[in-house]
Amino acid sequence: MTLFDVVFKGNDAVYGLTEQAIDAAIAQHGADKAVAFPDTAYSLPCYFGVTGTKVGNLGELKTALGVVKTLMTREKKLNDVFMSGVATALCAEFIEVLKYIDGAVPYEAPCYGHLADAVIRELGVPLVTGDIPGVAVILGTAPTAQEAVDLVKSYQGQGILVTLVGGVIDQLQEMGYKTGANVRVIPLGKDVTSVIHVVSVAVRAALIFGNIQGGDAAGLMKYTFERVPAFVNAFGPLDEVVVACGAGAVALGFPVITNDVATLEAVNGKVPKSIIGQPDVAKFNATSLEARNIKIKITNIDIPVAFASAFEGEIIRRGDMQVEFDGSRVDCAELVQTREASEIEDHKIEVIGPDIDEMPVGSKQSLAYVVEVAGKTMQADFEPVFERKFHSYLNCVEGMMHTGQRDMIRIRVSKDTFNAGFRLKHIGEVLYAKVKSEFAAVVDKCQVKIYSKPEDCTRIRHEVAIPVFDKRDERLTTLTDESVDVYYSCIMCQAFSPSHVCVVTPERLGLCGAVSWLDAKATNQLDPQGPCQVITKEKVIDERIGEYEDVNDAVRKFSQGALDDVSLYSIIEKPMTSCGCFECICGIEPLSNGVCIANREYAGMTPIGMTFSELASMTGGGVQTPGFMGHGKHFIASKKFMKAEGGVARIVWMPKELKETVADRLNETAKELYGIENFCDMIGDETVAEDPETLLAFLEEKGHPALTMEPMM
Amino acid sequence: MPFTAKSGKFNASINTLTIGTGDKAITLGGENVLPFYTFDAPIENAPKVGIEITDGGLDAEPDCIKACYEGCTSVVDMAKKAAGFEGVDFLSLRLEGGDPNGLNKSTEELIAIVKEVAAAVDLPLVISGCKNVEKDAELLTKAAEALEGRNALILPAKEENYKTVGAAAGLAYKQVVGAESSVDINLAKQLNVLLTQLGVNPQSIAMNVGTASAGYGFEYVISTIDRVKAAALSQGDATLQMPIITPVASEVWGVKETMASEADMPEWGPVEERGIDMEIETAAADLVSGSNAVILRHPASVATISKMIKELV
Repeated sequence: MTLFDVVFKGNDAVYGLTEQAIDAAIAQHGADKAVAFPDTAYSLPCYFGVTGTKVGNLGELKTALGVVKTLMTREKKLNDVFMSGVATALCAEFIEVLKYIDGAVPYEAPCYGHLADAVIRELGVPLVTGDIPGVAVILGTAPTAQEAVDLVKSYQGQGILVTLVGGVIDQLQEMGYKTGANVRVIPLGKDVTSVIHVVSVAVRAALIFGNIQGGDAAGLMKYTFERVPAFVNAFGPLDEVVVACGAGAVALGFPVITNDVATLEAVNGKVPKSIIGQPDVAKFNATSLEARNIKIKITNIDIPVAFASAFEGEIIRRGDMQVEFDGSRVDCAELVQTREASEIEDHKIEVIGPDIDEMPVGSKQSLAYVVEVAGKTMQADFEPVFERKFHSYLNCVEGMMHTGQRDMIRIRVSKDTFNAGFRLKHIGEVLYAKVKSEFAAVVDKCQVKIYSKPEDCTRIRHEVAIPVFDKRDERLTTLTDESVDVYYSCIMCQAFSPSHVCVVTPERLGLCGAVSWLDAKATNQLDPQGPCQVITKEKVIDERIGEYEDVNDAVRKFSQGALDDVSLYSIIEKPMTSCGCFECICGIEPLSNGVCIANREYAGMTPIGMTFSELASMTGGGVQTPGFMGHGKHFIASKKFMKAEGGVARIVWMPKELKETVADRLNETAKELYGIENFCDMIGDETVAEDPETLLAFLEEKGHPALTMEPMM
Repeated sequence: MPFTAKSGKFNASINTLTIGTGDKAITLGGENVLPFYTFDAPIENAPKVGIEITDGGLDAEPDCIKACYEGCTSVVDMAKKAAGFEGVDFLSLRLEGGDPNGLNKSTEELIAIVKEVAAAVDLPLVISGCKNVEKDAELLTKAAEALEGRNALILPAKEENYKTVGAAAGLAYKQVVGAESSVDINLAKQLNVLLTQLGVNPQSIAMNVGTASAGYGFEYVISTIDRVKAAALSQGDATLQMPIITPVASEVWGVKETMASEADMPEWGPVEERGIDMEIETAAADLVSGSNAVILRHPASVATISKMIKELV
């Protein structure tokens, strides 16, 4: 038999039973006899949801059964299977409603049967907010009562609402396990048809919370698929009726996980993501959550000391230090790596090597930790974004100090923290909890490996981490404005500079220096409604100054109409605005036909005749001031720096400290663009001149290229 | 050359939003012109004025307000009396006693008051929380449930608790959701988008984009309201076209100009007059910037602002 045969057979059987039951009821009560579920405004909710028709009496129920029959098409296509599943579910609803004739109370404790609208409104709110992250429908009899209890308990611990149908109810009772709506474990009934009462919850959730109109079957299924995080755990042996009901669940978007792998294989019935065999009941939980893409919120971090931003600036002195991991002396590294979901066991934290209590007090040790993550929307570009947060995460631990990044980290753990029970695995706990909670949008699974043997650390550093860092750096250098399809807006600063919009490109990072194109991309993915939005760059207006129609549209939109057009590469024509957070300000120095750059830290005078603060008052506030531009330090060595005006060759003056910071990269750029060696030696600084005349003399002596370039104004 | 006035009518308009049911229901928004620019196009729904009482009853009020409610012994008495003051379009009940850092009244106790007040008056209701986001999530969910069918405005859904408040008020019990953000157009917009994604009908959202007493960072409030309205009308930004409601009372009656006694500040004049002045000045400025409703506390301020609106629309 194939899956088709099984579902169709199950569906036919249930249909037959339903027809008999309705006929018998009509014979007994007459066609005018009222039928209804108690305490609902939605008649027979599932039938109403699918068809938009309310059923009031047995005669109408019989008519409805005729409508159900039209769903039972018998082509061997997946759609027919799903529709037969839906038909089976509707039949189950009809059978169940007959039990309520004459105000009967067909279910008694612990079983609930039909759930009132009020219960759904109450459960609906936490479902919508994600406080109830999922709904488990457990069907049948577990291999042992203990396994039933363990499974239910595992879901309960995650806040998942559990509904029970069939033998599992008796198993829980036998074990004395507490059930009830207040503990979020709801036994529905012992007949398989009582499963409809949870389907009814999903359908009414769509009607009440999704504003879906009765009869909008497609809208209903879309809602249940996207918004009702339910799944089915069906214990074998599976019969045709259960399989047919399962097809109905899959039609609503609820995957079915069963331990009856033999039957599944016999009918060739595995459907990826929808019908899944999992022989090990202990793994039902993980398999179900992965199949339904349910993420459990992590609220507390399991460590023996406090975790708060209050501890972020804490300094651990040598005398207070239990142990130190120092990347500048021995091999250390921190790394995030993307893996396949199947390669990761969520929340596995491995410590490979000696723990802190085996290390001499006050000693310098090696340490390497690798955080492995997997997620459907995870991208390798996010790895450095996560990694950069490790510094703040680990610093928030009471009695722990972290500095540096990559393979130049230094970590100190205080004696007090060690005495409180803090060990290496707790570093893993912190990283796991923070990565999972802060990056939940892209991380589905996460595990941490912590290496403390020197030989392992050496291997991880040199054979794993450094090649990754090199690859990333190479990607950064090859990432050009031309090589990407989109740029990003950043309006993080609009709270105080309401009309400013940064356009962040690979070669022009945000003027604050803190938002690179990769950061903006990650921000956009993690917070799609947030400050960084995608800007396309398809309609070029002027390649030379970097002006695009789409960029202008975006700037107009995000500045609420305050700005009409900006260029990406010019300081004279439509320059990009500045909020006030600029790391550096660049301004035209007319006498030398070049520009001076001042960084925020520089307090002295510039040859322009203005200090940094005076320049800032000209440049900030989200207005375009031709001749002045705020920018990040990193932008100085970019090939796109003032490209329209001739590029970095225009730089005639920078404070010494800034010049030293950017020298290597700037020299390289100048060499590549103009063939000039040691370009920075031609650039003046405060030790050379703070006035334009002296500067000009210096530039002439050095033969600075700006002197012979076209006039800027 | 003859002067031809150009109409400043916009192609976009503010959403219309009804609060309450029956004859007393009020409708906010709908305009396609700048605030009070009736010469550009008619404004069908004039801004509305609400009066605020709290769960604390008379005890929580300054002396001058106590005098206005003479003879009242309970919150319900006050609600009935407030409903009769001149110019009152709606009643706002602020559940400030729920604050865990204050009186920390239980949700049950406060919901009982909500129910009593709702039964006693047929005015449209605005229920405001206690400014603690966790408590509000619980409190406002229950308030939305208790007021099912009243089409009340539930305030505030904030970034921290919008899911719970939005789902309860906007989805489960079909009330109007008040989205509160803090003087930042982008945050206001983001919250509206998030509520809409949750499934809340954009036509059932009112915004509080921030509030302050005149003189207390008030220019930020005004510039935010200005900018929100400009984006909604001139840019046709549908995510900012929700009507704005601005609670004034809760800010104004907590600043020194309204609280310092005449004995301490003889040169400032009588306390009551100052309170009314501050309330009127703040509310008038909010309204001319674009607020579609204000919530006040002193009956004299309500009457004055209501008169001002009638004169202008």
